[in-house]
Amino acid sequence: MTNIIILLKRQLRAYFYTPLAYVVMVVFLVVSGLSFCRPLIQHLGEQIGLGDLLFSAPYFWVAVLATIALITMPLFAEERRTGTLEMLLTAPVTDLQVVLGKYAGALLFFLLLTLPTAAYFILLKAMAPGMAPLDWAPIFTGYLILWLIGSCFIAIGVFVSALTRSQVVAAIGCFIVVSILFFLDTARLVLPGAAAQETLAYLSSAQHIRDFAQGIVDTRPIVLYFSLTVFFVFATVKVIEARQWK
Amino acid sequence: MIKVEHVTKRFASAKAVDDISFEILRGEIVGFLGPNGAGKTTLMRLLATYLAPTQGRILIDGLDVFSHSLDARRHIGYLPENAPLYPEMRVDEYLSFRAKLKGMPRRKRRERMEEMKVLCGLKDVERRIIGQLSKGYGQRLALADSLIHNPELLILDEPTLGLDPNQIRAVRELIRALGRRCTVVLATHSLAETEAICQRVFIMNHGRIVASDSPEHLVGQLQGNVSVAVEIAGPSDEVAERLRRVSGVLRVLPVGPAINVPASGSALWGRYRLECHPGVDIRPAVSGIAAAQGWPLRELSLEALDLEDVFIKLTAGRGKTPVAYGAAPPEAGELRRVNP
Repeated sequence: MTNIIILLKRQLRAYFYTPLAYVVMVVFLVVSGLSFCRPLIQHLGEQIGLGDLLFSAPYFWVAVLATIALITMPLFAEERRTGTLEMLLTAPVTDLQVVLGKYAGALLFFLLLTLPTAAYFILLKAMAPGMAPLDWAPIFTGYLILWLIGSCFIAIGVFVSALTRSQVVAAIGCFIVVSILFFLDTARLVLPGAAAQETLAYLSSAQHIRDFAQGIVDTRPIVLYFSLTVFFVFATVKVIEARQWK
Repeated sequence: MIKVEHVTKRFASAKAVDDISFEILRGEIVGFLGPNGAGKTTLMRLLATYLAPTQGRILIDGLDVFSHSLDARRHIGYLPENAPLYPEMRVDEYLSFRAKLKGMPRRKRRERMEEMKVLCGLKDVERRIIGQLSKGYGQRLALADSLIHNPELLILDEPTLGLDPNQIRAVRELIRALGRRCTVVLATHSLAETEAICQRVFIMNHGRIVASDSPEHLVGQLQGNVSVAVEIAGPSDEVAERLRRVSGVLRVLPVGPAINVPASGSALWGRYRLECHPGVDIRPAVSGIAAAQGWPLRELSLEALDLEDVFIKLTAGRGKTPVAYGAAPPEAGELRRVNP
């Protein structure tokens, strides 16, 4: 555990030492701010659901996917390219600790990145005193699904980063994989059959977001994202271990 | 300290290390010498637990590096080739990170870091960002890192690569000093380096150990000392003593009684090999001694060991790219690959 925390701290610091992190943060906050304001302006004077404000905007989610690809790309690819991975893996730490340390570092950075968006709701309340009282439940469940999807997709990003020594390849690869997963439900248009429809509905991130943004907590997506996370962390450990046998 | 038993490491395309066995004792400073691609780095990575052997096993302090990898790593300080570091960190920060990762307790850590910074000459750059340091400082920082947990075994892969001559000298001094406290294994392609530091040298080529000896003997061979064979009949101690005193003779190696037929009188024929400075012909002096002492002399011949002959014999074989010295090797010669 101590080792994981040491590695996590280093990873988190490494983010803030590079300009990339700040660029990602600025772009993310601009895009998420826009996706919060746009529905407000479009539906001026009308009644809209709180869940529609942030979490249902497609470009908000594209920003989330791109951000995840960018924050996970250096994790292993950069260390492999510069050779520091050799230093890391010959220190008395297990491969699992290394993977978990990096994963936790990226996840914590993602939480720090998305947390300020909660201020939008607080600001909205402060600036519109005549508004009906805010229902915080769908906001909480909205963040819950954001972080669930985030933790799963970051695990995928870590996995892709461990496969290559090029950050660019890692970022593009991760973005493609998580986009396919995220937009899987569009395949419903071309795949007829009740079984396919049902499976895709179960896997569809868009459906999960719609539910959670209305305050509906479904345990099935929680299990889905959690098990995918565990699987990809495990797969990453295996990829790192495989260096010994190549 | 290290025991390597029939270790082979096979990559997809080739064997990088081919059935190597050796043993290194506690407190030794051992060098692995060979041209590029001889398998030195792979061997260092195997010893440092970064790679697992395809066959065979490696014991470090009695611990199998594969099944007790973490315990073995606690005894090892490893400096990989090119000294990889995190460029965005500061020197102090990096050392502290590595010390924590290697499980140094907080109280000892400060003290030990100070010690290492002084030892490796990093005091004046402790607040600098690693990415802005020169190659020499980077190398020294990586060395400080490999030493920080006070390991019993130090594995160094090309520790002086890319350093200027003064830095090379300083790093060599440091390694020699460290050798008094721990076992050191060193991979290098520089003959001078092994000569300066090591007590024992293994020459590697194509994944095999082709020769092992003390550097004096090996360098003697590789630098092309002249060897003269003498067969003389006389009291062996006295003969050896006389031959040693001939100017130009470095060593006298009794090869033993050649053919045990008594010469005139009771003396037996003795065969000796004399290692001599190149460029000095000692044969007239030897025949002079034999004549003066009345010792029968029946052979006196030059066994010239040409530098390139020896080296090609040791490292090029099997019809692959020949490896040879450059025309005027600096500092007793870096090995260079000659393009065909």
